[in-house]
Amino acid sequence: MKRIEEQTCYEILEVSPTATADEIQKAYERAKETFRSDSLAIYSLYSEKEIEEIQAAIEKAYRVLMEEALSKSFDRPYPKTPEGRAEEGPSERGGLSWDGAASPSFSDVPVDPEEEPYRGKSLKRIRQRMGIDLRTISAQTKINMKMLEWIEEEAVERLPALVYLKGFLKGYAQCLGLDPQKVIQGYVKFLEESQKK
Amino acid sequence: MDPIQNNDQKVIWTIGGGKGGSGKSFITANIGVCLAELGARVILIDADLGGANLHTFLGISPPSHTLSDFIKKRVADLREVIIPTGIPNLQLLTGAEDLLNAADAKSVQRRKLLRSIQTLEGDYIFVDLGAGNSLSVLDFFLMSDGGILMVTPEPTSIENTYRFLKSAFYRRLKQTVSSYRVKTLIEGAMDRKNEMGIRSPQDLFQAVMDVDEGEAKRMLEETESFRPNLILNQVRSKKDIEIGFAIRSACQKYFGLRLHYLGYVVFDQEVSDSIRKRRPLVLENARSRAAQCVREIAYKLADLRIDSSGMKGSRTEDEQVES
Repeated sequence: MKRIEEQTCYEILEVSPTATADEIQKAYERAKETFRSDSLAIYSLYSEKEIEEIQAAIEKAYRVLMEEALSKSFDRPYPKTPEGRAEEGPSERGGLSWDGAASPSFSDVPVDPEEEPYRGKSLKRIRQRMGIDLRTISAQTKINMKMLEWIEEEAVERLPALVYLKGFLKGYAQCLGLDPQKVIQGYVKFLEESQKK
Repeated sequence: MDPIQNNDQKVIWTIGGGKGGSGKSFITANIGVCLAELGARVILIDADLGGANLHTFLGISPPSHTLSDFIKKRVADLREVIIPTGIPNLQLLTGAEDLLNAADAKSVQRRKLLRSIQTLEGDYIFVDLGAGNSLSVLDFFLMSDGGILMVTPEPTSIENTYRFLKSAFYRRLKQTVSSYRVKTLIEGAMDRKNEMGIRSPQDLFQAVMDVDEGEAKRMLEETESFRPNLILNQVRSKKDIEIGFAIRSACQKYFGLRLHYLGYVVFDQEVSDSIRKRRPLVLENARSRAAQCVREIAYKLADLRIDSSGMKGSRTEDEQVES
């Protein structure tokens, strides 16, 4: 019997605290659909203003949970912390750490990042050259296959908000042993340029 | 009074809500047939005020004996008014609507009706409540082991369902609390344009919290335990199926209620064909898409029964509905 402003992010999106990024994405899409202004299921229960409040709450919950989930899932491929202690299960850590503290070194990566600027197509080429299957990346990062394809195909209009895209790119980059920062920078720059056109 | 003891395992489902034509009688009859086919003893009870014709869905004539004959002591044994349907394990009891309809139907009488139903020998009892929204219907819905709301993916149907659900929910809350003041608050909240400014269940809860914390707590517990079920009928697209989830979400957010989305039945011409032939669809055309949907729901009800807690994790339910 909680008002929307009293509900936790989990309650708002109706997911469990252990939900993966993928589950959160699905729950978010469903919640967004449910609380669309013209949704059949809600118009007779709420006023327009209330619907707007709920919509805002859903967006906020999505942002918060997605960041949390992404930070968890990117820790998974590299379970060792500097102390050598394995992190188990869903970590209770909050915010997303963008720096590659747990990443492997990039010095021995057989790809020259200066070769071409990072963008979807070049990332795909690098991945293929390394002989890594997209499915493998999806399995490791828990990022939806479709999302990975969109990133590689540069399906600009389908890509999520920048904050999530950065998270996805980070996971992708770590899987390929690339420098996440450089990949993110390159991709963002590519996006900005494509927007200008 | 042995039979009562033996009937501990019996489950009484009521089917109501929505509006006329959403398929309550169709579902009642066909789920009944499915479970009877599984070997369960099933009794269908027609309590549809708007037009009791459950017998037609089963292809039999209006029975000469009805439940009111028993209540009015015209027949001595309840079993005399239960009629066979020609389908093994499936029996029909009509005339409950007379009792629910009676202007003087007091809760005593309703309880008497429920008690007599509880003495029936069967594994499953399905009560078709029709589209009514009267106190009798609400009470019956609330007193059963499981209330099922039949909805079609149309605004009018969903609106009526919410109205029904709100009435049932507030009535249940009112029955839970004992303080006169709180009862008055709940009654006031029923009126959408009430002067207390109570617009939502949250408002009501807050208002009760302000006057009596203990009662508020009881209301909260009651909200937890009230778990209505939903069947979406005449679904034409994947988007329609999603409406069931949307309704569930809305119930969670608005009422704080955990609605159980039992399943959906696709729109299928075979349904009206079977009704015209006065034959249950699941017998007439067992392989039609709608029949398969009904069977799936029936099996789910059977599963729920085996799981004596009656409540399963909502996750698996989701997956079943989605598959």
